[in-house]
Amino acid sequence: MKLGVFELTDCGGCALNFLFLYERLFDVLEFYEIEEFHMATRLEGRHFDVGLVTGTVSSHRDLEVLREARNRSDYLIALGTCATHGCLQASVELPLKEKLKAVYGDEGNPMRALDPKPVVEYVTVDLAIPGCPYDKNELFQALIDIAKGIEPVRPDYPVCLECKLNEYECVLVKKGLPCLGPITLGGCNAVCPRSGLGCIGCRGPLPGEVNPAGEFEVLKGLGYDEEYIMRKFKTFARWEP
Amino acid sequence: MIIETREFTRVEGNGKAEIVIEGNEVKDVRVKIVEGPRFFELLTLGRDFWDVPDLEARICAICYLSHSVASVLAIERALGVEVPEETRLLRELGLIGELIESHSLHLYLLVAPDLFGYPDAIRLATKHGELVKEGIALKAFGNRIRDLIGGREIHGINVKPGGFGRWPGREELEAIEWEAKALLTVAKRAVRLFSGIGEYGGRAELFVATDGYLTGDSLISNVERNFQYFERIEERPLVYSFAKQSLYSGKPFLVGSLARLLLKAESLTPTAKRLFEENRERLEAGWVSYNNLAQVIELVYALERAGEIAKTLLDKGFEPENVPVEAGDGEGIGYVEAPRGVLVHHYRIADGKIEYSNIITPTAFNHAMMEGALLWEARNLYGNAPEDELLRRLEETVRAFDPCISCSVHFVRG
Repeated sequence: MKLGVFELTDCGGCALNFLFLYERLFDVLEFYEIEEFHMATRLEGRHFDVGLVTGTVSSHRDLEVLREARNRSDYLIALGTCATHGCLQASVELPLKEKLKAVYGDEGNPMRALDPKPVVEYVTVDLAIPGCPYDKNELFQALIDIAKGIEPVRPDYPVCLECKLNEYECVLVKKGLPCLGPITLGGCNAVCPRSGLGCIGCRGPLPGEVNPAGEFEVLKGLGYDEEYIMRKFKTFARWEP
Repeated sequence: MIIETREFTRVEGNGKAEIVIEGNEVKDVRVKIVEGPRFFELLTLGRDFWDVPDLEARICAICYLSHSVASVLAIERALGVEVPEETRLLRELGLIGELIESHSLHLYLLVAPDLFGYPDAIRLATKHGELVKEGIALKAFGNRIRDLIGGREIHGINVKPGGFGRWPGREELEAIEWEAKALLTVAKRAVRLFSGIGEYGGRAELFVATDGYLTGDSLISNVERNFQYFERIEERPLVYSFAKQSLYSGKPFLVGSLARLLLKAESLTPTAKRLFEENRERLEAGWVSYNNLAQVIELVYALERAGEIAKTLLDKGFEPENVPVEAGDGEGIGYVEAPRGVLVHHYRIADGKIEYSNIITPTAFNHAMMEGALLWEARNLYGNAPEDELLRRLEETVRAFDPCISCSVHFVRG
């Protein structure tokens, strides 16, 4: 099978995390041939059984790359929170013109920037794997499943579940730290509570039956002000798929 | 006439170059960073200082810990926090891990295919599997250190103002000491391979680094000691790039491994110092391509230093204790040597909230130098070599800087 990796605007982590599979990368290569992946190769392919897109659409160049990737891939995966929810770079809620002025000093837009938005705002994807960065085991399993013709399983539980399974001390209840674990999609193995710190919500909100209002009240009860809590909620997921 | 390269491959982020030809002569080269803007400083404005290092870490995945540490140092300076020796050593260990992870990615997976004439490391592995596996082993070790100190291989949140979320234990440090020793042989072998690299990309004349090996209170260069970045370095926006350009007293300059070795060789560990002396003459010539050679010598340094730090902490013993940090007012700069060179985080904090933030990354510092190096190569090869060879050489020249394009695209006006 042929695999393409396309990077839009991001920190490079989602492409890099794929290389961090180390020896298991060679297991992936038993099934896939990497046809395009500009961080890793200078080859350029034409058609892909599976395409991975990382990053936000932040310029016309990104949009062109995304449309090409969609048109040339049978199965397209939005990979990482930039691609699925917009992540940090989409969280600044100013008009694009004002943002560009603050950063580059004039109101022109010679490089044709767009307001950063997730991939899923522009094209339909076959699978969305969030995470800043995503959990590399989840991607590994998804790629193997697809190669075998099985639809990958999507996690549907909060970070709290994995935190409890690991028997970490609850930082929200015990330390009063702002932890978004109860309303954040699990799958990271509760990596931040492992460090004794609160979940910052990098996998985006848990879909379905969640209770952000309850979390809001809990945090307010702990003494955090409303603006702080709202900003925390929207840091990684101003856009929701 | 303008020759445009395709987007650079085997580099982090999206960029390309334009070669301007007039009357059969190369007039100019522009490095166009086409990666979209990312507005990181805007994002931090009005935020609680405690949350900021976790957000800034996301500027870059290859060097997230450098960003966390620079951010934490700036905050601690602004709020007048002093941390004990063991905290400083553990942070240094994290930065050393990052250096190992980043340099081995660059050398083995991005540059080595050029040395052997392969399009990528995966195809290179079919003939030179051992070499690629050694690179991967080094990278994995660097990442284990990042996981331990930073809390995750990429974008961990463990480095906090005043200390850490979770402190490493004795057994974990023992494993680092032991593994660093085992991998030193591998890195020494790599020095021989990468010292075969040729001279290209022009010669740099000005070098800038921080005053300590991986962190510092000020900057140094080959013409002066101890200055603050805003006293000498000027940033300017460009119409053709999302990254700004920096000049030092009006001139392009180089940051990164080569600059560090040339300015701070006296701080190296024994084997790294010996390797530096063996190659001193070539390194001092300042060819941009020798940044690769400097990186491989630093890889040896990093492995020796990782072992040293682990041993010091184990011998001395330490209590995992964080210094309490109170919200307050102040201004502070954090200087860190990211794997690619000087990284600056500068904040003003009012009542615990960020009210001014400025970040300058190594790739932005190197941007003008990068254009100079490409111009040199283009003038040298245009008309003397086929166009595809010219373009390939330009790409290799860009790669020698080990640019991190994602880092470079989010500047705010001071």
